[in-house]
Amino acid sequence: MSGTLMKFSNLVKSNYNGIYASIASNGQICFYSTTPPGTPPAQTKTKFGPLADEDRIFTNLYGKHDWRLKGALKRGDWYKTKEILLKGSDWIINEVKTSGLRGRGGAGFPSGMKWSFMNKPGDGRPKYLVVNADEGEPGTCKDREIMRHDPHKLVEGCLIAGRAMGAKAAYIYIRGEFYNEASNMQVAIAEAYQAGLLGKDACGSGYDFDVFMHRGAGAYICGEETALIESIEGKQGKPRLKPPFPADVGVFGCPTTVTNVETVAVAPTICRRGGVWFASFGRTRNSGTKLFNISGHVNTPCTVEEEMSIPLKQLIEIHAGGVIGGWDNLLAVIPGGSSTPLIPKNVCEDVLMDFDGLVAAQTSLGTAAVIVMNKQTDIVKAIARLIMFYKHESCGQCTPCREGINWMNKIMYRFVDGNAKPAEIDMIWELSKQIEGHTICALGDGAAWPVQGLIRHFRPELERRMQEFQKQQCAASN
Amino acid sequence: MAKFFGLDKLAYLFRIMKENGGIRSSLYKLYRMDDLKMGTLMGIDKCGNKYFENNRYFFGRNRWVEYAPKYGTDYDASQVPSEWYGWLHYKTDLTPDKDPSRPIYKWMSEPTENMSGFSGAYIPYSTTKPKIEAWVPPKPS
Amino acid sequence: MLRSSLIKVLNGAKVSPKHVCVTFRAASDVAKKPEKIEVFIDDQPVLVDPGTTVLQAAAQVGVEIPRFCYHERLAVAGNCRMCLVEVEKSPKPVAACAMPVMKGWRIKTNSDMTKKAREGVMEFLLVNHPLDCPICDQGGECDLQDQSMAFGSDRSRFTDIQFSGKRAVEDKDLGPLIKTVMTRCIHCTRCIRFASEVAGIDDLGTTGRGSDMQIGTYVEKFFMSELSGNVIDLCPVGALTSKPYSFTARPWEIRKIDSIDVFDAVGSNIVVSTRTNEVLRILPRVNEEINEEWLADKSRFAYDGLKRQRLITPMLRDNKNELTPVDWEAVLLTVCKVLQQAGPNVAAIAGGMADAETLVAVKDLLNRLGSELTCTEHVFPMDGSGTDLRSSYLLNNKISGAEEADAILLIGTNPRFEAPLLNSRLRKTYLHNEAQIAVIGPKVDLTYEYEHLGNNATAICNVLNDNCPFSSTLKNAKKPLIIVGADLLKRADGAAILSLVQSIAAQTCNKVEGWKVLNILHKVASQVAALDIGYTPGVSKIREAKPKALILIGADEGAINKEDLPEDCFIIYQGHHGDLGACMADAVLPGAAYTEKQATYVNTEGRAQQTLVAVSPPGLAKEDWKIIRALSEIVGHKLPYDNLNEIRDRLDEVAPHLTRYGEVEGANYFKQAAQLLQEDEEKTLDDSPIDLKIKELQDYFMTDSISRASPTMAKCVQAVLKQKESKY
Repeated sequence: MSGTLMKFSNLVKSNYNGIYASIASNGQICFYSTTPPGTPPAQTKTKFGPLADEDRIFTNLYGKHDWRLKGALKRGDWYKTKEILLKGSDWIINEVKTSGLRGRGGAGFPSGMKWSFMNKPGDGRPKYLVVNADEGEPGTCKDREIMRHDPHKLVEGCLIAGRAMGAKAAYIYIRGEFYNEASNMQVAIAEAYQAGLLGKDACGSGYDFDVFMHRGAGAYICGEETALIESIEGKQGKPRLKPPFPADVGVFGCPTTVTNVETVAVAPTICRRGGVWFASFGRTRNSGTKLFNISGHVNTPCTVEEEMSIPLKQLIEIHAGGVIGGWDNLLAVIPGGSSTPLIPKNVCEDVLMDFDGLVAAQTSLGTAAVIVMNKQTDIVKAIARLIMFYKHESCGQCTPCREGINWMNKIMYRFVDGNAKPAEIDMIWELSKQIEGHTICALGDGAAWPVQGLIRHFRPELERRMQEFQKQQCAASN
Repeated sequence: MAKFFGLDKLAYLFRIMKENGGIRSSLYKLYRMDDLKMGTLMGIDKCGNKYFENNRYFFGRNRWVEYAPKYGTDYDASQVPSEWYGWLHYKTDLTPDKDPSRPIYKWMSEPTENMSGFSGAYIPYSTTKPKIEAWVPPKPS
Repeated sequence: MLRSSLIKVLNGAKVSPKHVCVTFRAASDVAKKPEKIEVFIDDQPVLVDPGTTVLQAAAQVGVEIPRFCYHERLAVAGNCRMCLVEVEKSPKPVAACAMPVMKGWRIKTNSDMTKKAREGVMEFLLVNHPLDCPICDQGGECDLQDQSMAFGSDRSRFTDIQFSGKRAVEDKDLGPLIKTVMTRCIHCTRCIRFASEVAGIDDLGTTGRGSDMQIGTYVEKFFMSELSGNVIDLCPVGALTSKPYSFTARPWEIRKIDSIDVFDAVGSNIVVSTRTNEVLRILPRVNEEINEEWLADKSRFAYDGLKRQRLITPMLRDNKNELTPVDWEAVLLTVCKVLQQAGPNVAAIAGGMADAETLVAVKDLLNRLGSELTCTEHVFPMDGSGTDLRSSYLLNNKISGAEEADAILLIGTNPRFEAPLLNSRLRKTYLHNEAQIAVIGPKVDLTYEYEHLGNNATAICNVLNDNCPFSSTLKNAKKPLIIVGADLLKRADGAAILSLVQSIAAQTCNKVEGWKVLNILHKVASQVAALDIGYTPGVSKIREAKPKALILIGADEGAINKEDLPEDCFIIYQGHHGDLGACMADAVLPGAAYTEKQATYVNTEGRAQQTLVAVSPPGLAKEDWKIIRALSEIVGHKLPYDNLNEIRDRLDEVAPHLTRYGEVEGANYFKQAAQLLQEDEEKTLDDSPIDLKIKELQDYFMTDSISRASPTMAKCVQAVLKQKESKY
């Protein structure tokens, strides 16, 4: 029964006309009888494979077509935005909840639930939407593709997401190094204003909405939501304590939601094609499509939009041309940007690229920036370099992050040479456990996890280096 | 025979008394110094103290000083100046006139005797800075 | 990071950051008293108001959670992470100083997770902390030492000490008062929060990021605040220490004696630390009603003036006209002869640090001799009721009341330098209650924004006659406050001004019971006691009366010169420092300073407090009132008290509040005082601009005999002048 329903929804997907068409086509309200409203319908597919072209959301990811308003309109952006806005925030949030969209910035928090936190009755303060375009996570480059090649998706997404939250304006905080992306976005915003799609009475729906761009100044920590809010307010980008959460006290003291670019950019397509359509991709609770950035030792590193829960092997083989030297030459993969622990080859054989699958493999999806490392990698040096990055980017507010990551960095660089004792491996494991969870923001976790991943899977390598170093020392002293 | 009756000791006694200048003088010496001895005069110092040596007496009593008459009964060991101190206390066997290694520096001051109990006695004093600085009233112009 | 701004945003006006009401937005009516929530701390139930943090709730039960960055009087930062405790059902530990409690939470402060978290954080703090304990001044009173003993692990795992070593940071120069060794800094940011919230000078901040983060002023700047010394108390480690006190003593060899500060009229409570009969340092004591736990810089650092320029022997002018030391017998006999000859033509002037016992003894003696010429150096208008009604010369609304005001008018006063601790309260109300403040007087930097209404007496008229918008603010305010400075009332038209101000105060319709609008701020510690005992303010009476003998009780302001007095007037100076007064005296009687006697001082609110003996008076100096008592016996009019209790009984007779230590007796009769003042003769207003004696920071440091003798205060003045020339 649910299979037929799926088929119906597949038909409906290609019909851009009615958002209510799903009910109109079979005329029964029992469409939602199996799942309560606001939750994604259960998934029945077992194989998640390459995404069909008609299912793609980001159709100009490689910049082959015009990114300006004309090109965007041709690709289907800004279509019936007015109707969507007029449907009201409850409907939009419901669609997003039904789609099962989870935050694409790394944490994977259900977006519908997050946006509904802003639904409390206002107490006179304006509400704001802040889009986190500070793409600092090493390995990640998906947001820049959206912003320079398909900026109107983001602009329309801001409008719709803002409407869903009852926001007055959106601030797009873009990374300072993204000059080209920032100019493209600014042009897109200006075009939208000129066409009457933003500003007073956006799209003719009677809803006033402004979009502002704010450029950052080169700090990874400003990608953390509260640090981003502090940076927009003009202060030092140091994260705040939570509670109070940004939905209560955010930018300028007003209720704010901070979302990632990709999450906001897929929102209009979800509203147009239906949350159920979005939920048809990926496993249950990991629905939708995702932009994967595959880099490292692969033949054709690229950014692709793929279905969630696609097997990692398939992803690398189909889209990135396979590992340099063949699949057997694979050493380890960092699946979600540098903050996630690495997984060795035996786990990569059959792991599925979604939130739950990777959590089961003791890692996490993060931003889906797949960094592939083959056997020519000095894995210890790679992880040590990552820790140096975290040490450089720590804001210095709380003690475990500031002092602990610095210490871990020193130890890791000694591990590269093997200039340490095996007991120090256990020591650094404990240190990473002392940092993880004890910090104000998640940078501490992000620094602790790669170390834990390395020790968990590559402990023999570390010990081997130490033994070699010992041998060399003995030989040198004799 | 003389030894048997101790007459040689007596003869020695008379010899000592003769050396010391007669009975009266010997009695005065006995009163003054509680001791009557005979020895070779080794030297006299600036203040008039006379230094004698007689190795017939045992170690400790073979060198002695007779203080100058000006001191009377108020003689004191600190009246022995430094050049004779060494000889008197068996640090050296050479008297000052015979000893080439006695240095003479320009900073050497006159020897003085111990003044404890008198008005010139040394009273210790503090050299630290006072904790409270007093106010010095300005001079009227 | 700063939560006080967040608190302002959420509704529900709160007075201090202690009361944080964060998550309960639904109940937005402030009038209803919020229900208490029950939480369990180590299985002990406790009922707390909503919005209290875990740390405060634990403190209610008696469980102290260790922390470095949290301070009750500053905003919450939550960045040291030492206060992490385990809450059941939470995977991560929570920061107790920042997390507001929820209903039914079970908080475990001694569980394994908590202990591990504390050990971990302590380990991280010690990794880059230098091994300075033997040379660090904070040793023995250091939070890091104490908490590492109690909560840290017993051995170090920092193997990198053999490879790259610890971090080192350059020292910053913050001035002659604060010694900084920034390597020891643990980045708790208490000093930054203090500087920006309480002191109002936003000079301290963080530079750099991560491990290279440094706390300082970025450019070399002297920390120009009159409350800068409090940062020394706040710093939990030895990064900020007191420069004059550096390397002098360890806390366990010091004796601590409670006392009162007399450098200004606030009467802050202090602890005098002594060892081997010298004062080593002065620290504040907590007194919620006067100084909270802060202390002004002059009071804190001017103690080295107590060792210089002291009068340690009685002196008389000899025939060469020079003052030479004599002994007590000689000087007392000389003075006695003079007094007997002068008869009723004796006068006395009370200086700024005279205590109540001495004041009453001198007044008794002079009255017995037949004279009424007891005066104070500072002037107060004597028209109308003058100083008969206490409410006309006290800070009626109390210092702690100033932090609840919502409209404040400051007339002819610079509270920042005249009473820094009152100014910190005004700043508090400016920050938390959004009080409107207006100033009539010269434009000075008060560390908060204010409306400048003008610089002369016409501005006061404007407020009275509704000619400026501030008068309506004042009239409609719920808790208006008017503070008049003593400098202003010194002028010839002081009475006229006072009467105007009284009318303004009468116009305000304050709706709160017990709130007094009119307040006078004095500048010296002895003024209120002198006025209470019955001294006439101002020396004009003495100038007219041309006395034959004049007793100066520590009077160094130069209110009267030798030219104003007749040729044959014999001046007797009784005090502890050789300053202006001793220079013109004919006889000098050495007295005791405030750390050397048990004496009563009344602060500007009318609160009597006592100092205790911390060190003994130097040389031949004696306690002041005892000198007067001895003098009286020789003169022939023996005063009826022989010991401290008896003279305090006499104080009690004169004015009962003088012996009720620690309490403020409220004064009333505002309406009658205003009436009496208006009935007096015609007063004309002088339109010249109002001038204050202390306008800038460099004038603040040397205002009385002890601070003028202090080398530390001299260095401060130099540093301020140098900083003014720098371009930052």
